[in-house]
Amino acid sequence: MNRPIRLIVALALSLAGLASLPGPAHATTYAQIEGTGSTWSELILQQWIADVDSNGMKVVYTGGGSTKGRKDFSQASTDFAISEIPYQGTDERGQSDTSNGRPFAYLPIVAGGTAFTYQLKIGNELVRNLRLSGETIAKIFTLQITNWNDPAITKDNNGRTFPSLPIKPVVRSDGSGTTAQFTTWMDKQYPNIWRPYFGQAGLTSYYPKKAGSQMVSQAGSDQVMNTIKGFAGNGMIGYVEYSYPVNADYPVVKVQNQAGYFVEPTQYNTAVALTKAKINQDKSSQLYLTQVLDGVYANPDPRAYPISSYSYMIIPTGSDDPRMSSAKRQTLADFMYYSLCAGQTKAGPYGYSPLPLNLVQAGFDQLAKLKGADPAVDLTDRDVRSCNNPTFDGKNLSHNVLADKAPQPAACDQAGQGPCGTETGTNQPSTDDGGGAGGAGRNGGEGAAGTDGERGAAASGGEGPAAPGDAPAAIDPETGLAVGAAGSATTTGTTGEVIYADPTELVAGRTTDQRTFGWLAVLELLALVLLPGLYVVGMRRRRTSRAGGRL
Amino acid sequence: MTARRRLVLVALLLAALIAPLPAAAQPAPTTAERGAQKSTQKPAADEGWEETKDVQRSVVDADGSTRAYPFSDAFKMTVRADHTQNLRGRERVLISWSGAQPSAGRSGNPYGPGGLAQEYPVVVLQCRGTGAEVTPETCWTSSFSQRSQVSRSDVEATWLRDVHAAPAAKERVSTSLGALPSAEECPEIDRTGLYATRLTPFVAAGGTVYSACNATHMPPEAAADSAFPAAEVAAFTDADGDGSVQFEVRSDVENESLGCNDRTDCSIVVVPISGVSCDQASTPVENDLATIEKACRKTGQWAPGSSNFAGLAVDQAVSPALWWTESNWRNRFVIPITMGLPPDVCDVLDKRAPTAFYGSELLAQASLQWTPAYCLDKSRFKFQLNQMSDEAGWNLMTSGEGAAAEVSSAHEAGADPVGYAPTAVTGFAIGYVIDRPDNAGEYTNLRLTPRLVAKLLTQSYVGSGLGTGHPGMSKNPWAIMADPEFAALNPGLSRNASEAGAALLSLSNSSDIIEQLTEWIAQDRDAREFIAGKPDPWGMVVNPSYRKFEIPTSEWPLLDNYVPQTAIECWQANPGSYYSLLAAPVTTIAKISTALLDAWPNTQTRCDTDVTTTPHTYKTGRIDRQSYGARFMLGVVSLGDAARYGLRTAALQTKPKHFVAPSDSSMSAALKLAEQEEELGPFVLDQARVRRSASAYPGTMVVYTAARLQNLEAETAAKVAQFIRVSTTEGQRRGSGNGELPDGYLPIRRSGTTAGLYASAQAVADAVEAQESTDPPTGKPSADAGDGGIGPVGGAGGVTPPDGAPEGDEPSAAASPTAPASVAPGPVDMPATQAVGSDVAGGVLPLLILLGAIGCVATAVIRVAVPLLRGRR
Repeated sequence: MNRPIRLIVALALSLAGLASLPGPAHATTYAQIEGTGSTWSELILQQWIADVDSNGMKVVYTGGGSTKGRKDFSQASTDFAISEIPYQGTDERGQSDTSNGRPFAYLPIVAGGTAFTYQLKIGNELVRNLRLSGETIAKIFTLQITNWNDPAITKDNNGRTFPSLPIKPVVRSDGSGTTAQFTTWMDKQYPNIWRPYFGQAGLTSYYPKKAGSQMVSQAGSDQVMNTIKGFAGNGMIGYVEYSYPVNADYPVVKVQNQAGYFVEPTQYNTAVALTKAKINQDKSSQLYLTQVLDGVYANPDPRAYPISSYSYMIIPTGSDDPRMSSAKRQTLADFMYYSLCAGQTKAGPYGYSPLPLNLVQAGFDQLAKLKGADPAVDLTDRDVRSCNNPTFDGKNLSHNVLADKAPQPAACDQAGQGPCGTETGTNQPSTDDGGGAGGAGRNGGEGAAGTDGERGAAASGGEGPAAPGDAPAAIDPETGLAVGAAGSATTTGTTGEVIYADPTELVAGRTTDQRTFGWLAVLELLALVLLPGLYVVGMRRRRTSRAGGRL
Repeated sequence: MTARRRLVLVALLLAALIAPLPAAAQPAPTTAERGAQKSTQKPAADEGWEETKDVQRSVVDADGSTRAYPFSDAFKMTVRADHTQNLRGRERVLISWSGAQPSAGRSGNPYGPGGLAQEYPVVVLQCRGTGAEVTPETCWTSSFSQRSQVSRSDVEATWLRDVHAAPAAKERVSTSLGALPSAEECPEIDRTGLYATRLTPFVAAGGTVYSACNATHMPPEAAADSAFPAAEVAAFTDADGDGSVQFEVRSDVENESLGCNDRTDCSIVVVPISGVSCDQASTPVENDLATIEKACRKTGQWAPGSSNFAGLAVDQAVSPALWWTESNWRNRFVIPITMGLPPDVCDVLDKRAPTAFYGSELLAQASLQWTPAYCLDKSRFKFQLNQMSDEAGWNLMTSGEGAAAEVSSAHEAGADPVGYAPTAVTGFAIGYVIDRPDNAGEYTNLRLTPRLVAKLLTQSYVGSGLGTGHPGMSKNPWAIMADPEFAALNPGLSRNASEAGAALLSLSNSSDIIEQLTEWIAQDRDAREFIAGKPDPWGMVVNPSYRKFEIPTSEWPLLDNYVPQTAIECWQANPGSYYSLLAAPVTTIAKISTALLDAWPNTQTRCDTDVTTTPHTYKTGRIDRQSYGARFMLGVVSLGDAARYGLRTAALQTKPKHFVAPSDSSMSAALKLAEQEEELGPFVLDQARVRRSASAYPGTMVVYTAARLQNLEAETAAKVAQFIRVSTTEGQRRGSGNGELPDGYLPIRRSGTTAGLYASAQAVADAVEAQESTDPPTGKPSADAGDGGIGPVGGAGGVTPPDGAPEGDEPSAAASPTAPASVAPGPVDMPATQAVGSDVAGGVLPLLILLGAIGCVATAVIRVAVPLLRGRR
């Protein structure tokens, strides 16, 4: 701990001798910045904070929910806030939700999908491929659908019935941007379901809970995840950013999109969906860069995940801001420069989705306001051209490379097809395209085993024709499908047989068993017919012989 | 499996012999050189600081005589600091004292403005300057109310009667520096003479003066309730006159206005509050004294050692609000400190793409110091550690998305073999913050048995009245402090149960830490039997939800689903699994450290009803921070975090009656017990052996850099190899500088206990770099070819001849003995579904039935036939 100065100087010199330092290492002065807010984007934000530590930037972020973030910012007790929604003016509780006169700007930091994670068990097996339409989700969270065996859920899962089990929705108890995103979506897409429940129109950061309902409320995304994962969680469903279930290796609902496909909020599907986000482009507006997501909800692309959105940082832009100094503004600017550029590359692995380049560009425009407030802030070379981000297209700024690369959903993910057997919550796309790494772990084997006669026949009749073209050679003896046909590992079993969504576990129909027990049945039948006769004959003989003896 | 492993080994050996020899030799001398430089320049140790002085309050009586007040003897107070030199931002310095006046009316949170409502505390501040340069105006406070008294009535204007104060400081409205701010600037100041005001402005490092008359006239860093807690504290002295505080020093990065750095020396200033010494009384008759005179002579309304968690009123004359008044300030201890040079940092404009390693949070503190040593050196790659669960990091490594994973135990390899290079020796600890009763200071000697930890993890404490209805646990204590087993091990603590004492804050996701923690529990017979259902000697039983729960496990599930039946309205409206809310595990271990640091349990059982609304609304979530003097919290932390934040760590039981705390020697002792089961594989610390040791720390863990030994791009492989080599040589030197190893880690050295780890790391580095000689061998292939002869031992077809073959048409394919694995990209063919069922069984079953049938028939026939035959005879 007590390092002598000389030593550090010596070390620095020796390092300098080894390699000339890249750039002016000491040129920038940083001061610690502090913030609170969203837990939706906290997981990746904390990683960015760890990353920039090596640049000498100290950033403290303590979460607490978007509502707290906006409030702390307005009271000038923080240097920045993270929120999924802008200041609402007056919130749904009638309380003021403004910056309290503190000048600010919004700045998108990362995209992601609000995922529905759930625990639903059949026997002891966790269902990992549940599909739900938006309407069903809205009805679940407004307590209109209260049992997992509801016909609407059966229909979403292409006829698979789930056990009779009450649905317990888990909602956030604190003021939450995740709740705001979710309720915005319900308000826009299913006003007839949402508004009667809420009692008014619009979004809310505090999820309304009805007394006596099965609904459970928890503070923070961590706790929502804990509650659902817990032993008592069977039958629960809740909403969190996709990174939480990914981190916990827990399944998420595939939500039906406009094109009729059930999709998971992977970085690809989120990126595709957000190509239709309407970003406020009016630079003079206080709401510049905020999102209108109606187009996202109704994005016709079969890959789009409907409940995708951006998370925002609120930065102080006033030149006389009471908490800001040149060094703090510089830290804020460089922290965001890193996060918007290189930091976006890790969005995918963490369960988020990188920003498209036009938003990164616009984010830089917002950061420029820091320089506007304080000429001492150095923004030289901090622009999109220097961004070290492979998902950016330097030529077409509004172009999201990820959206191009996004694989098409598997055929079995379409409404009326499937469902696919692939697991969700693995951060892997479900697709028929060979290239993507398939999270197909459990696909095949045991799932395919149980087929009752009728469905087996229907399946081979119905889906059989899909196979014949390419591979007549090898037919799987169990599934009746071609073996080794184009990427069947990732093709997520288009058959109807992958049934872990099906509670009616089926009679085993193994060929050897059939043979064995067939013979056994024959023997038993013979015995049934012959033994009584033989017995009678035997007894009669015995009796006659005894009688004969006495005589 | 074993055959393949053997193959790989042989191939690796070959590769190690040929390719990387020159490369491996390179970094070693550089490191040795630097190491030598370092050791010769090591200065004498920082011995800290100590000073003793008399602290005495006095009053001047009406006759003009001065008398000691209220005690005739002075307090002979000694203040110590454990170290003072080359401090880093946020480094903690232990300030301790003895011989002070006992404090009273302890505040729940003594930091920042929270500490104001106390009596006779010891105020500890950080100030710019040293010696005489230090004035109250250079001392940092995070709120104006800690430095200014604005518009006070006579009862609260006691500073006006300070006998030691200069006349100017006794004006009814005054400021200690410069001119009074205007009425527009500070409308709060009463200028009619009715009320008194004293401002102590703050002078920032840049010279800006903040008048401190209200919150807007304070420096930018000042904020109450900000994300970053205050450092200055009004600390408590126990009944014996002792006290201590871990004071967090702020550099100019954390606090620019205060501005302490390597060029600007600063001080930690300790001001014992003994009360205002009052000037001459107007009358000898005590009752006739003026209000302000009476107020000045007050000696406190709280008893020594008492607590004032509600923040009720205190006597201003003896409160910390007047630390700046001359009576208190003259008793100050000024401890000079120096800040270290700020470490060189990476340039945010560096265009090189970072190479991401994924995994263990155990490496977090080390990687913070290591990262700059990569970006600042052009001969190295740009290293970055992305912290996530071991499993998630591992998966990214096997799928090829991550260059390498940082893990602490063996994981299931994918298609490619994986080598585990020991990179750091550290581990987990059970961190705690526990106050002794009656404000007698912190408890520093916590000891835990596996059974106690098992009780916490299995949620076998009922927490509170809400949990008592849980079936099968009616006789269990409410929390660990009320458990006789705990009390016997840790005597002298309060036995009043709190909900926080019913849980060990832990991780919700899969982690190698949980695996090892539960393995330690599993090796203890008492703990095992307790989980199996046997009551402990005091009759406590395991929570039935966890009965027979199988350990070890890498993920601890929340299995209890008890919902309390209660008349409390909020709980009726918000029913929840009470025990899960008590446990409330979190996703990252950093969150646990923060929670411990703030003494803020993650217990989520708060349930308040707001009766002012119709219908009633409810506030649920995390309970409040714990109050100083009544803190009790336990959590699983990393040794790196514990060292960084100065968290206390529990001694864990090994042998019966032996408790081992984490230290260099106990970690070494544990390493001696660890064994490597296969070459290039991880070392396994068998907890059964730890149980037989008296000195091995059970939480010792080795963090490995795990990387694929095949099919890793040469460029990435070289980076991984470089990382392993650098981190196991240069990265193992202790220190707080760039590239050095922070506290909380045991250095891996070439010799001694860690020699095996070192050797294994180098071997893995070579193997990773070689990638089974996917690169055509360079150097002297022919000379090595002879040695390569051991190769064929591995058998079957795959082993690459060290020479020649790689030059063929398909160099890479030939190199890989486990050929199927190398076709990573593109669709993977699925094998045909195996028929479930066995032909043998299919054949045997009818045979058996047939045999049985034949037997039946035979007996029947015999029974019938024998008498017949006899009869015939």
